[in-house]
Amino acid sequence: VPAVITRRQVLLLLPLTAALACGKRGPAPPPQPPVATAPPPAAAPVEYEDPPGDPQRKLLLRGAVVMTAAGKIYERADLLVEGSKITAIGVDLPVPEGAAVVELAGKTLTPGIIDTHSHIGVYAAPGLTGHNDGNEAIAPNTAGVRSGDAYFPQDPQINHARAGGITTMQILPGSANLFGGRSVTVRTLPGARSLADARFPGAPEGLKMACGENPKRVYGQKSGPHTRMGNVAGYREGFQKAREYQRTWDKYQRDLGEWAAKKDQPPPKDGKQPDEPSPPARDQALETLAGVLRGEILVHNHCYRADEMSLMLELAATYGFKIRSFHHATEAYKIADRLAATETAASVWADWWGFKAEAFDGIRENAAMVHQAGARAIIHSDSPIGIQRLNQEAAKAMHAGRRVGITITDDDALKWITLHPAWALGIDKRTGSLEPGKLADLVVWSGDPFSVYAVAEQVYIAGELVYHRGKVEPRTDFDLGLHPEDLQRPAPAPVLRGAP
Amino acid sequence: MSLLRLALALVLSAPAPARPATPAVTRPPAAAAKTPARAGPVYLVGGELHVGDGAVIPDSVVAMDGGVFTVVGGADARGKLPTGAPVVDVRGRVLTPGLFGADTTLGLVEIDLEGSTRDDSRGGDPPIRAAYDAASAISADSSLLPVQVVEGVTSAAVTPTGGVVSGQVAVIDLVPGDHRGLVAAPRVAVAAHLGQAFGGSRAATLAKLREVLADARIYPARKAAVERAQSRPLAAHPLDLEALQPALKRQAVVTVSADRASDILAALDLAREFGLRIAVVGGAEAWKVADELARAKVPVVLQPTQNLPGSFDTMGARLDNAALLHQAGAEVVITILGDAHNLRNLRQEAGNAVAHGLPWAAALTAVTLGPARAYGVDRTHGSVAAGKVANLVVWSGDPLELASHAVTVYVRGVAAGTTTRQTLLRDRYRDLTPFQPRTSEKVVREGK
Repeated sequence: VPAVITRRQVLLLLPLTAALACGKRGPAPPPQPPVATAPPPAAAPVEYEDPPGDPQRKLLLRGAVVMTAAGKIYERADLLVEGSKITAIGVDLPVPEGAAVVELAGKTLTPGIIDTHSHIGVYAAPGLTGHNDGNEAIAPNTAGVRSGDAYFPQDPQINHARAGGITTMQILPGSANLFGGRSVTVRTLPGARSLADARFPGAPEGLKMACGENPKRVYGQKSGPHTRMGNVAGYREGFQKAREYQRTWDKYQRDLGEWAAKKDQPPPKDGKQPDEPSPPARDQALETLAGVLRGEILVHNHCYRADEMSLMLELAATYGFKIRSFHHATEAYKIADRLAATETAASVWADWWGFKAEAFDGIRENAAMVHQAGARAIIHSDSPIGIQRLNQEAAKAMHAGRRVGITITDDDALKWITLHPAWALGIDKRTGSLEPGKLADLVVWSGDPFSVYAVAEQVYIAGELVYHRGKVEPRTDFDLGLHPEDLQRPAPAPVLRGAP
Repeated sequence: MSLLRLALALVLSAPAPARPATPAVTRPPAAAAKTPARAGPVYLVGGELHVGDGAVIPDSVVAMDGGVFTVVGGADARGKLPTGAPVVDVRGRVLTPGLFGADTTLGLVEIDLEGSTRDDSRGGDPPIRAAYDAASAISADSSLLPVQVVEGVTSAAVTPTGGVVSGQVAVIDLVPGDHRGLVAAPRVAVAAHLGQAFGGSRAATLAKLREVLADARIYPARKAAVERAQSRPLAAHPLDLEALQPALKRQAVVTVSADRASDILAALDLAREFGLRIAVVGGAEAWKVADELARAKVPVVLQPTQNLPGSFDTMGARLDNAALLHQAGAEVVITILGDAHNLRNLRQEAGNAVAHGLPWAAALTAVTLGPARAYGVDRTHGSVAAGKVANLVVWSGDPLELASHAVTVYVRGVAAGTTTRQTLLRDRYRDLTPFQPRTSEKVVREGK
């Protein structure tokens, strides 16, 4: 890394450096003098600043129902996009000079939909043996692997997610392992040739953990764990080791600081300068778990049952970390108070249940009851089909709650698929609601997004039109040439980008 | 169809007989609850009735008695009701036939990943399992049944899985707890599979099916010889060959699971060759051969939201599959494939088909009369017509819309209960106060 870099270079490098940093970065050291040989100090957690985007871009989206997911629904309003961001929302906004106007009378505008739980790209379609990259099912602790390293940006499922209004999704490793590995948050941008092009810049990484039946089933006849006892022992062992690992690194940083402070002083009487301390060995898995203990990596915990989620909350408290969101959490409604008290989100389905023993108690009112208790409800998909209509799933969960008398506004339910998942992914300051200053991640719906008949007509990511129903429908490489119409002459131009 | 009629007659002529006084033994209340309620009479007046065949009666009269519809008509049909009949005013409501779930394991599987709760497949056996009869394995006590009923599902074609020929399909009405009466019509269809179901190749699968069907065709004439062991070995057990006879006589349907266009065409050829009456199940690429399907009058049982290229057999999957088939004149049946727990989402699937071009009326037919026709039970099921089984849903609004819900569900003329395992769980946890711990123990930090 050059000594002086411009802000633009920082932005360009960020996707890559972010990916590399976690492997290279040591535990947060005490303040120390600059020493050439020391490992790069951990950057103080700074808010990522989004690039301004194309300065020429000025878009006025006019006359839509605007559902902000920020507490307000406008029956008719305009939204101004400048560069990558929303700069104004209001009734009858003036048309700025040079702005393109998009008339949206009768349409509904919402934030881009965000899914906290997807395996798109790591279980790419078609489901070929060669595409099976979602579970590093070789050991119960593979905290060192990263889903981003397996993300296939040519997965045709990405196109379908985008067409369903998805702008951002967390790609998680599967749930075979107690510690499945690090997750990555990506955008559904067309034309990505590698993870770096798709990655949501500056988004924190996550750690996928899994409770219950899956690790038992996968390892029961192998190395273990064989029972839920074994599962929890495995979590304890992992975090205890991470704590000790952190201690080794803390000590190294202290020793290094002391050494550095002394090394330019006159040599001691015996004339011998102490050797520079050598750094301890890096361990990829422990780096991840230590990152969790330091609060830098957000925990996403696949966990169905109320008793197990409660145990996990206790375990997290004893080791001093937070669980950002439980996933699946079919019994979240039984411990909604505990989720609220610990500020733990519940990423749930609207109605999946019964496919395994730990999912037997799923109910339609799950999200609504979590919401009512004051905890963050999130509707997630865990499915390349479900991800295409999270709006409908949120609608089902909302109506189920209303039918039993729980107060849920449309704005509340919209948050379940926008602002709350953004929070769970650590990007809620930048996306997830329609507010000036936030990224212009937007969906234009043909009507009320909570209607079964509504479809996404336009999708914008950071101000860029990436999908326009019937006009701009980008496809990934894998999808090309496998449809007879692709082979007709003259060949249709394969659409890659949205608006020029 | 004599069997079917017989079964139906039994079902329909089953008003609860007065039970002899029970001996002085304390019975669990559940036993009493299982006594079927007397089916009717029920008179619903003023609702917007969607008959199921596309017809709409805005100000309708629907009467049910003894488990069947007795009067169905417009406002003028009020005259047919007995004077002083206790009518229920359903003005502002939408009435439809009960929803009919095609190709489902409802009642055969309680928890998918628990083998001990699964009865959907004869395991570890030859690929031909024609004699495997779903009707004999369905649990009337399955927790899945009430969960579907409260959301408007009243009938299902319960279908075994696995192998090349999985077995016999049974049509049930969703009357939880009624062990004797649940099955409305057993053995209405035989479930078969194309694609790589056998021998690692679709060609092998097809050859296997041909072999079995050919032997089934000659089996009746050879029965005696087979019994005397004077026949060459036949392609399947005599019971399986016997079980295929109704299909060869077009008295039972053969449901053929096939997604790739070439497999669907193979199914059509097979049907012609053996004179079978088939329905295609899955049908991801059915739109590619929609004209042929329409000409052959072969219905396609599909799930509209399944639009992904999950395999090279479904490369052509698309959201407007149902719409394109309908345009071509083929019969579309909408179902939930492979998730009996959420068969209740049938109407959401139908709504999505509408969002992608299927006319609304066709979508409703696709979850009511369509499946009844596909399984050959439309004489008794699938629409609201005098004489048919009184399966009916009173909806709060557009039944395909997510904001609507089933207000009352009638199964065989009786208003279904509204309690399910799920509503009980919900109500138990609505208020978490009673669950607050009695002692508060401080979390102890793990040792350093």
